[in-house]
This record gives sequence, structure tokens and C-alpha cells, in this order.
Amino acid sequence: MPAELGALLLADGRLPTGGHAHSGGLEPALAAGAGPDDVPRYLEARLRTVGLVEATAAVLTLRRCRTAGADVDEVQVALRARMPSAPARTASELLGRGLARLARRLWPEHPAVAALDSLGAPPLRPVALGVVGAAVGMSDAQVARASLYDDAQTVAAAALKLLPVDPTDATRWLLDAGPTLEEIVARALTCTGPDTMPATTAPLVEQYSLDHASRSRRIFVA
Amino acid sequence: MTRDAPARIVVEQDGARTRIRELTASTYLRPRLLGSGAGPRVALVAACASLLAGDHLRLEVEVGAGAALELVEPSGTVAYDARGGRADWTASVRVEAGGSLVWGAAPFVVAHGADVHRHTGIDLEPGAAVLLRETFVLGRSNECGGALRSTLTAVRDRRPLQAEDLDLTDPVLRGSPAVLGTRRVLATATLLGIRPDELADPHETALDGPGALRRELADHAHLAEDALEPTWARWRRLVGQTRPARTVTCRTAA
Repeated sequence: MPAELGALLLADGRLPTGGHAHSGGLEPALAAGAGPDDVPRYLEARLRTVGLVEATAAVLTLRRCRTAGADVDEVQVALRARMPSAPARTASELLGRGLARLARRLWPEHPAVAALDSLGAPPLRPVALGVVGAAVGMSDAQVARASLYDDAQTVAAAALKLLPVDPTDATRWLLDAGPTLEEIVARALTCTGPDTMPATTAPLVEQYSLDHASRSRRIFVA
Repeated sequence: MTRDAPARIVVEQDGARTRIRELTASTYLRPRLLGSGAGPRVALVAACASLLAGDHLRLEVEVGAGAALELVEPSGTVAYDARGGRADWTASVRVEAGGSLVWGAAPFVVAHGADVHRHTGIDLEPGAAVLLRETFVLGRSNECGGALRSTLTAVRDRRPLQAEDLDLTDPVLRGSPAVLGTRRVLATATLLGIRPDELADPHETALDGPGALRRELADHAHLAEDALEPTWARWRRLVGQTRPARTVTCRTAA
């Protein structure tokens, strides 16, 4: 499959991976007092923190999937050590499961997809994304960009359901975050291995995920 | 002793008790034995007005197999206006099998104009336990605070257990609703090597490996530390060091 088509598929909210049920922490952020004006800053700060960590994990997974018998688990273990929030790991597993299910059905014979079975725990979203990226032949930059775009679009799309926001404004947030997104893509590509994977921490994103998990009334999973 | 030589605290188990094998002072820190509980209790006493630009405070802690050590800090650390320079603070901790370390650090205050990098590296053998509390205060009263970058890497049995990089150097990113928002104090209790059976507070979370973490954001150091207190006391019991949490109180930074 052409890599360009794969990149479009991964960026498309209609791809059946369950992403529509997530808000990237926006729902609990709003519950904690954030308002519409805070969304662009929130979205961009995610890119610079958890977004960078996840995009790097996706790229490292992709690179390892290009060589047969590569150890993807090492990337996943490094990523899990960078996600202290248990609900955040669970949310990422749900998204990873959606991508892994697609990959197993569409490219069952691909060695990268087989690598999913060697993991010690369910694949997190970035790891599953790296595997799918390998299966469709995407480049490092394409996978990093797909990871970051998905995160930003998750927040923007959730804002349309949670706030009285014009869809054009939500689109503008994404475009405004473009230079940051490309800067983070470039940073993600410079990482050489799990030992030096970025660990940029976003304490409020962690707190929101914990607050959200303890609530019974909510619209989004995370 | 060269200027940047590390302060060192080494304890080992000798029969039924933990004994101190080494207490080495540095330009910045004078470790002093206060007494003993489950094991020796050692105070990290500041030897000079730290941290100034160009300073590099280094601390090495080694807890031998089965030994227990508690570190306390009688006063907070202030990183002062660096006027274009940078200060570094590095701690290396190693705990062998069955050993335990409890370290309730006093507030680390990053004054206006300061530029400070902290790194804490923790290496645990299987069966070792560490309980750490860190409180970062951005700015003294009525200051917005300088640049702080604090990284922590905990490895257990050569496997990454917790890795964080709190990059609070950029005031815009720091003040965003993803990082600290409007709060200027971040307190974190980190339990490593032990998985609690239950988590009693919604802000406590289980790490992927054996360990747990709780953070509190607040406007004042004592409020953040008070919020952490019940978690601290519970996790301290898990580590097996049951002395009251704050025998030395420090609220200078609040």
C-alpha cells in the first residue's frame, strides 16, 4: 500500500479505531476550570510534552519493525515508565487495541504485526501506530506527524462536543499549532533509542486523567 | 576535596543494625547523623548559600543490602538569580536488595532569574524500596520564579521504572493548562520498588512496574506537602520506616 494512503487512513477520524471516544484529557481539563480560550494552549502544550514522548515512541517502534525480530517491547517498557498515570496507560491501550485489531486483520502476515504478540502488555497507541506505519511503509516523519496530528485532532474534535465552538475555529487551532507540530516531528526523529527517549512530563495532564477516571458522569473515555 | 566533589552517604547492614560506612561532606552539603530509627537518620545540612550560578551540587547515596536510611533536610534549598549562568544539582541513589531509603526533601525554591537543572538517578535492586518526596517552588513570595528543569530516572533490576522530565524552563509552557497552569508549587511523592495493595486517594496512581506516585499542585509549599501527607505516611509504613513524617519541619519557602 502506498505510504501516502496509509498516512491519510491513520489521520482519518472515520478509521474504526475508537478514537472518537477520547478527548485527550480535554473533558477533565474543562471540568477543572479551563475555558474555550485555553484549548489552543492546552493542545499545543500537549504536543510539546506527552505528544513528543508518544511521537518518539511511535518512531522508535517503526524503526525497529523494519528489522525482523526486533525488540519492540523495549520501546513499550520505556514508554510505560514515562506514563505514571494508570488511567492514561489504560486509555492508550484502548486506542492501541483498536489499531492492533485493524493491523491483525489487514496485514496478518507482516512481521511488524507479529511483533505485537511478543509484547509483555497490550500495545499502547504509539507502539501500535508504529507497527501500522511499518505495515503500510510509512516514513519516520509520517508516523511522528500522524501521532501528533491524532493527539491534536482528538482535543479539537472533543472541544466541538464539549464547548460552544465553531468548527472553523477548531480547524484554525490545528493550523496554528502546525509550526509546533513540525518542530516536534523533527525532535522525535532525532532520538536514537529507548534509553534516550524524551520523558517530558505534563503534571496537569496526569492529574486530569486521574480525576476523570474517578468520575462516573462523563462523555469521553479519557 | 575539589569544589564539585560529591557529598556521599553510604550505609550497610551489620548484623541486626544499619551502620554508616561513609559520611563525606562537600562544598555544598554536610551530612550529619541525627539519630536512628529503622536505620540511621541523616540530615543534609547546607554548607553554604547554594545554589548560585556555576554551582554543581552532587550527592551520592548508597544503601547496602538489607540496610535502612532516612534523609532529612533541615532547610529548603534556594536556587538564586543566576544572572545568565546556570546551577546544577545531581543526586545518584543506589539501593541494594532488601534495602530502603526514605527521603522527604525540603522545598526546592527557584528564585526569579535562577536557571537550575536537577537530576535524580535511582538504581534499585529487586526487593529494594525508595520513598521520595520532592517539592518544587517556582519563585519566593511575589516572584514568578526562574527556570527549572528536573529529571528523574528510576531503574529497577536494569529495567526502567519511572522516567520524568519536568521542563519548567519556558514560562509559557509551564503556565499552560497542561503543565502547571497558574500554580507555582508542585509536590510529588514517589514510591519505588513496592506496589501498594490499594490506592486510597484519586491522585495516587500505580506505576506500570512496582511503584506508585502522587502529585499535588498548590500555591504554597505547605499546602502541597500537607495534601501529600496522608499518602506519605501510608507509603512510609509500606517501606517499613514508620517514624513520623516530619520530625524536622520546614516552611521557610512557603
